[in-house]
Amino acid sequence: MIRPMTRRFRFDLWTLVLIAAWAILLLLLVWPLSSILRASLIDNETGAFSLVHYVDIFTVKAYQRAIGNTFIAGFGGMAGALVLGVTLAFVTTRFRIMGRPLIQTLAVVALVSPPFIGAYAWIVLFGASGVVRKGLASIGISIPPIYGVAGVILVFSLKFFPHVFLITSGALAAINRSVEEAAESLGVPPWKRLFTVTFPLILPAISASALLTFVLSIADFGTPRIIGRDFNVLATEAFNLFAGEVGGNPGMASALSVVLIVLSMIVVFGQRWLLRKNVYYSNLIKKPEQQRVKGLKSFGLHLLAYTIVFLGALPTFIVVLFSFRRTNGPVFQPGLSLQSYEKVISTVSDPIWNTLLFSTMAVTAIVISGTLIGYLISRRPSIATGSLDALLMIPYIVPGIVMGIAFITRFNDPPLALTGTGLIIVLAIYVRRLPYSARSVAAALKQVGPNLEDAAISLGYSPGKAFLKVTVPLILPGILAGGLMSFVTAMNELSSSLVLYVGRTITMPVRIYLSVMDGEYGTASALSTILLTMTVVAVYAAFHLSGRKESALL
Amino acid sequence: MAELRIQGLAKSYRDVRVLESIDLVIASGEFFTLLGPSGCGKTTLLRTIAGFQHQDRGEIVVDGVRIDGKPAHKRDIGMVFQDYAVFPHLSVAENVAFGLKARSLPKSEIEDRVAESLKMVRLDGYQSRLPAEMSGGQQQRIGLARAMAIRPTLLLMDEPLSNLDAKLRIELREDIRDIQRRLGITTIYVTHDQEEALAVSDRICVMHKGRAEQIGTPFEIYRQPVRRFAASFVGTMNFIPARLEGGRLFVGSQSLAFPAGTAAGELELAIRPENVHLGAREGQGEGVALRGEVRKVTFLGREAHYTLATEAGEIIAQVMDPSADFIAMEGRSVDILLPLAKIALFDRDGNLVKTGQAQ
Repeated sequence: MIRPMTRRFRFDLWTLVLIAAWAILLLLLVWPLSSILRASLIDNETGAFSLVHYVDIFTVKAYQRAIGNTFIAGFGGMAGALVLGVTLAFVTTRFRIMGRPLIQTLAVVALVSPPFIGAYAWIVLFGASGVVRKGLASIGISIPPIYGVAGVILVFSLKFFPHVFLITSGALAAINRSVEEAAESLGVPPWKRLFTVTFPLILPAISASALLTFVLSIADFGTPRIIGRDFNVLATEAFNLFAGEVGGNPGMASALSVVLIVLSMIVVFGQRWLLRKNVYYSNLIKKPEQQRVKGLKSFGLHLLAYTIVFLGALPTFIVVLFSFRRTNGPVFQPGLSLQSYEKVISTVSDPIWNTLLFSTMAVTAIVISGTLIGYLISRRPSIATGSLDALLMIPYIVPGIVMGIAFITRFNDPPLALTGTGLIIVLAIYVRRLPYSARSVAAALKQVGPNLEDAAISLGYSPGKAFLKVTVPLILPGILAGGLMSFVTAMNELSSSLVLYVGRTITMPVRIYLSVMDGEYGTASALSTILLTMTVVAVYAAFHLSGRKESALL
Repeated sequence: MAELRIQGLAKSYRDVRVLESIDLVIASGEFFTLLGPSGCGKTTLLRTIAGFQHQDRGEIVVDGVRIDGKPAHKRDIGMVFQDYAVFPHLSVAENVAFGLKARSLPKSEIEDRVAESLKMVRLDGYQSRLPAEMSGGQQQRIGLARAMAIRPTLLLMDEPLSNLDAKLRIELREDIRDIQRRLGITTIYVTHDQEEALAVSDRICVMHKGRAEQIGTPFEIYRQPVRRFAASFVGTMNFIPARLEGGRLFVGSQSLAFPAGTAAGELELAIRPENVHLGAREGQGEGVALRGEVRKVTFLGREAHYTLATEAGEIIAQVMDPSADFIAMEGRSVDILLPLAKIALFDRDGNLVKTGQAQ
């Protein structure tokens, strides 16, 4: 008799990976976040169970204003990014525009530079002592400084539109031209066709990018903090309450964090619910054609496209330019100099090394565990891996500032006292970015048919060897590109690090943020330029590895 | 060269039985086809033989040795996939050499076998190309060469032609058949395309709902179906309600003597369109005579199909080499004869009761 062929539970490598993945997520995600929920339900003084913080949310004006402002920032950023992104996507996919690679490069530059650099650059131009504002004042035109809600929405719109642009142009390029021709032959004029056929077809892409920009906008901390001034949102309010100079109010900070998470969750599930039926599959037979236009119309379209991407990339240019200016505190002096760089190298080089070290550690761990978890999710479907996949959604909706507060509350005391170490910063980045890596590996594996591994097995390779010889070489470029993009986000991580850093473990984004707050614009510019250079190098490498697909950057 | 013997092979997914006790004996060098609609279990059977899935019960024996306990990579079975499964990161020659490297053959022999296999599938000179630069038909030729190069004991093919266009499909199926004959390799071929099955197979197993409905040569499957499903799935078949009672066969208001032993009751009369006789009935022998109106004429080139409305139901008749006035038949009435020698009767369970051939 040969052994019975029932499906028994077998303890193999993938079982081990599954257990380890659950352990990691419970320890670094569920456990820290539970501390926030707990703190939000406890009275700061007595330590007893209390709903006082939630009652405060509904009674204290400041908190209600923060919630309202969060919505304004979220919808404002979303609307601005959608208008700019969809317009740019439409113009570049439907009309023949010269210099398309330049447009894409500028959009990518805007995409990868951290939002707080954008906020800071706009202050340099239009702030209280902003260059443009002062210039205009000298010829008698006075405009108000950019601080406040307008600045926040402006920065969000210009910062997040590349997401919309890349997602939407992908969808626009995938519409079967025959569908639009069919509409035309049925007597629908082109302008009407746009609203009755084209937009409904790309609605899933538009709403996906709308959701993304909304969640990014309400989670962002640096922008409202730097350019918002009195415009307090939930993220900044929670940070103020937590790190307040008079002992802080951890309970209230936690309650606001919970509200922020719930808001993100509602948006994510709302989008899923809205789109539950609106997914259209079509066999792409005819690719859309680019229309040739001439004269004034062509000029107008070029002007539109280039204005959008130029404004998006402007902060980057400003920062680089001003890093070579002579400064005196917040005031830029005439003339060029390397004094800002000299100052950075001589006094604040620690953040550079910390950033490189922490990012490298986090990304190494992310790439290894993300690849294994991604394989588990896509090739070993079960209840245990399915719920793991669901759990991996959480970091998408938890803002960095909340994750930072959760980490510092949970890992302040034994059994795991990590406060003040570099490790806590690394772990926060790790758990925040792990899902992106796992999901991109899972997506890459979907492109690799399981038959390829079967073919290798039928040719005489064991399953393990088949995975190494066939699957790994095929997904390796994707893994490396994903790793580099994780590296970019890790290097630019501000909000969680800001909560978790101590003097020794300060990182570049935190240092830049502090410099801006202190008015040391020269130092901020020089450090930002160094950070941007490192970012651009990593992005370029990722771009190269992924076969120049912009989608790898999302 | 190997003989394959499958005994009592059964498999279920939860409560769904995908294979119900399959018994097959496939002779050495035979081209054996598993034919059936999607979901009939043919692919599951093939993948179980390959070792990618495992049966709940039953045995798989190759040349007297049970192989169902061995892992897939030790079964020495070549497989050709529907989606080609050509390794996109390897050149054509590297794809073909892939299985040879696992067998650690000397380099010179690998080179010889790669060259030989590529020549066989007519891809000589494409050695250093990448699969992405090649058409679907060429990619499947790589898949075929790759599977053949290891000189497997069995060759399994899972709908290898269904992703190709019609012309290419016929061209490649002829090539597959020629190569298989030349090498004499025992081959199991899965398809849902009955024409393809008839064209290439030594024998066919018609499968339905996890069961082997009928096993036979292409001629037997087409001309002497023993199950209603096989009769309906392969080719076109007319099914007309009929009744056997007291040694007579009743169709509509017609009846004629039909010695069928003890069989009696409600049945279905089956006849192929090419066996339906139209017009004068002299010299056609005995048969069911009906009158019908031509409802629709379908011209197919070398033949035309008439859809006829009769008192017994709708009947499709085939007219070979239709003359120019075939279309004018629409709306006319014609005499129809269903020759007894060409009919088969199936009972309610789909089993063959009687054919008219013995008469």
